[in-house]
Amino acid sequence: MKLFLTLTAVVALTSSPGYLVAAQPSSSRLTIIAPAAPGGGWDQLAREMERELERQQLAGVVQVENVPGAAGTIGLAQFISGRRGDGEALLVNGLVMLGAILWNESPVSIAQTTPIARLTGEYEVVAVPAASPHRDMQSLVRALRENPAAVSWGGGSAGGTDHILAGLIVAGAGIDPRRTNYIAFSGGGEAVTALLGGQVTAGISGYSEFAQHIESGRLRAIGMSAPSRSGVLDVPTLIEQGLDIELENWRAVVAPPGLSGSDRQALTALVERMAHSESWRATLTRLGWTDSYLAGPAFDEFLDAERVRVARIVSRLRGTSSPRVGEWVFPFLVLGGAALVMIALIVRGGATPEPPPAGPRASNGPVVRMAFGLASFVALLNLAGFVAAGTVLFVCTASAFGSRAWLRNALVGLTVCATVYITFTHGLGVSLPAGAFLNAR
Amino acid sequence: METLTALAGGFAVALTPQNLLWALAGVTLGTAVGVLPGIGPALTVALLLPVTYSLNPTAAFIMFAGIYYGGMYGGSTTSILLNLPGESASVMTAVEGHLMARAGRGGAALATAAIGSFVAGTLATAALTVCAPLMVELALGFGPAEYFALAVLAFVAVSAVLGESRLHGFASLLFGLLLGVIGIDPLTGVPRLAFGIPQLLDGIDVVVAAVGLFAVGEALYAASRRNDDADFVPLRGSLWMTRDEWSRSWKAWLRGAAIGFPLGALPAGGAEIPTFLSYAVERRLARYPAQFGRGAIEGVAGPEAANNAAAAGTLVPLLALGLPTSATAAILLAAFQQYGLQPGPLLFQHEPRLVWGLIASLYVGNLMLLVLNLPLVGVWVRLLTIPQPALYGGILILASAGAYSVNRSVFDVGLIYLIGGVGYLMRRRSIPLAPAIIGLILGPMAEQQLRRALAIAEGSPVVLLTRPISAMLLGAAALLFFGPLIVRRWRRPLQAPSDST
Repeated sequence: MKLFLTLTAVVALTSSPGYLVAAQPSSSRLTIIAPAAPGGGWDQLAREMERELERQQLAGVVQVENVPGAAGTIGLAQFISGRRGDGEALLVNGLVMLGAILWNESPVSIAQTTPIARLTGEYEVVAVPAASPHRDMQSLVRALRENPAAVSWGGGSAGGTDHILAGLIVAGAGIDPRRTNYIAFSGGGEAVTALLGGQVTAGISGYSEFAQHIESGRLRAIGMSAPSRSGVLDVPTLIEQGLDIELENWRAVVAPPGLSGSDRQALTALVERMAHSESWRATLTRLGWTDSYLAGPAFDEFLDAERVRVARIVSRLRGTSSPRVGEWVFPFLVLGGAALVMIALIVRGGATPEPPPAGPRASNGPVVRMAFGLASFVALLNLAGFVAAGTVLFVCTASAFGSRAWLRNALVGLTVCATVYITFTHGLGVSLPAGAFLNAR
Repeated sequence: METLTALAGGFAVALTPQNLLWALAGVTLGTAVGVLPGIGPALTVALLLPVTYSLNPTAAFIMFAGIYYGGMYGGSTTSILLNLPGESASVMTAVEGHLMARAGRGGAALATAAIGSFVAGTLATAALTVCAPLMVELALGFGPAEYFALAVLAFVAVSAVLGESRLHGFASLLFGLLLGVIGIDPLTGVPRLAFGIPQLLDGIDVVVAAVGLFAVGEALYAASRRNDDADFVPLRGSLWMTRDEWSRSWKAWLRGAAIGFPLGALPAGGAEIPTFLSYAVERRLARYPAQFGRGAIEGVAGPEAANNAAAAGTLVPLLALGLPTSATAAILLAAFQQYGLQPGPLLFQHEPRLVWGLIASLYVGNLMLLVLNLPLVGVWVRLLTIPQPALYGGILILASAGAYSVNRSVFDVGLIYLIGGVGYLMRRRSIPLAPAIIGLILGPMAEQQLRRALAIAEGSPVVLLTRPISAMLLGAAALLFFGPLIVRRWRRPLQAPSDST
């Protein structure tokens, strides 16, 4: 049945031009991949799209899949290799991913995907603590020219939008961006804390992170990366202040590589219908996101231009990235410490034998039995499914604890596993492997 | 005054029917895992983390805090009736409590534990209410240098005071730090110790490590030294305490609270130390010292009060600084990060409903726990009749399902088994597990803060010593590290190895 539905959907999608798909959509399926853990911006965009597409019945079944890891590059790599030619999948991405690909030297590229549309964006704000002597960008630029290392920039993860803007500003001040003293903080306000505490000279972030503190007067916004001032946010732009820099932290969707022309058209039409709807605009307003819809050849060009620009700046920022304490200092310290403790343990263990712990003597038989159960579970999980693998693990564990009632243990194990399976997949929405047998059906 | 207004707002959040239900679920689950030997609150919260994505953070944290407090209550039941501490924090309770149970005063022991936990828990929550906002003021002045120093102090304190020897503590800590290094370095994007395995690029999830060490390691350990003839004393006698027992208990409760809260708030490894200290204090101050070793009620009342007060104490640095000082707190920090929240001074401003709702729910949870643990203690005792094979079989199934659901990968399941194997070897050599968890979650933070501090100071490490708070914290760490060595050298002739139990 499932297979039949999928087939119909594939036929419907591949054989009809975009407007037809939009007209008869209820049988279509769509998977939106958010290459991040639930909760972040990409996940939010994916889930809002899911809700919107289903509400407007633009697609029948929409499913969001989270593939977290390495700022989205793991999700991107899977998307490129695993979904080639799949006309029913979209990947959420954005400027941050462009930066991360270069920063992590990921072997994949956004150029390998099929661009569909840019959907939202947010401009960046440069802010200083209220007590800072800097009242505008000119003053900050003067300080930069005096001693670039003395101006520390606080912002989000290295290679991300905030870091890129810091690099662009330093370059715009006529200084080699390699000398950018950028302090990367993890998200969720750590950078804001450091800025409020005066730990860094200036902070860079999307406006929403700073909003509360700018309004309360504890932070002063001195520049904004938008092309012009907006009503909501009356902050002088960087361009006004003599720095020819515009940077938008955009988010977009792309389709897999190797897509047929009609598939691409269909997906573009689908996203366009959603993006031009009243209810999508309401959603954007509710979330405080800016509509920056862009599709077709214009989006292709935009993506190419961004790639070139980001690559230029990130490759130069990377040059600085091992400043005073490199990435291997800490691991070597830890490894050295571990080696010392090992030696000390061995020396002491040889000198004074461990006193036998109180209680019954340790025996190895049960451990071997249980280890066998664990190994079988790993081997069987994807093959036979969670329930079967779990039952084997349960029986082995019980036998390690001396229970010889094999049949009863198997039944109890089966019940426990089935309960866990049903609770996880249906109650909590976390799917456990059903096993090759069930999948084949 | 401002605090009271905030707290009132918190009660408005905590007293909604929905959140009351989550608190009830948390304290019930917490008591259950506290009662069951082998699983504790750290493991329970870790297992729940992957499945609470869809819950709103306030509800999730109200439940998690209930589990934390509940575990402290439930641990006493197993200690008293079975002489098997369900929690490391109830080791001391087992000493006198089990003797009381064998003398037919098990009911009174359970009662003084539950009421003492309630009194101390409530007092300590009040202290948390007052201290946390003060700590927040202080924390705003903290920069990368201070955070690094704080982490170093926590490392030394946790390793030096937990477990049988400092060496064992540091072995555990270094194992955690090593696990923490694995993955892409966030500052340079260079993969470290990942050996080309893509699943390792994002580092080892704290949930995976905790589940491996606490669930799999514990199951292997329990199987290797199976205890078929546990000394289970069925509950006999009245739950009511005599007038004499009341008069001997209440001072011990207050002293326990006074010892537990500040020590819990210091970065020194959570609830174990305060219980040891409280036991020692009660023994020294007791009216009938001869009763110690034969079932003295003060020896139950003090440590039980201390461990609950310490649990509240740990929440002060966790909420105000984002600094976990116990294994459970480390998992709670991971929970905050899962929701994209960074505990620290700004949390109180950005998420007042969450923070104050959580604190208010602690008052509510304590009251619920008193009701759950006194009249209903018979129900919990029945949990102890679950046969070991089924109990550990069930734990392993849940642990495996939980580990799989973090990233939906079989790799993580294999990883928890591997880490569980290491945990088993550590337990066999009596190496404590908590420093490893602290090292794993604080190690990357310490490294990044150090590198940030140095970058801001343009490369000069002197900054760690010129900033007064940082210098003070590092000094304290050095004292803790070298102090015992120096003392030992001085009094070598006098020194006799003291038995820690």
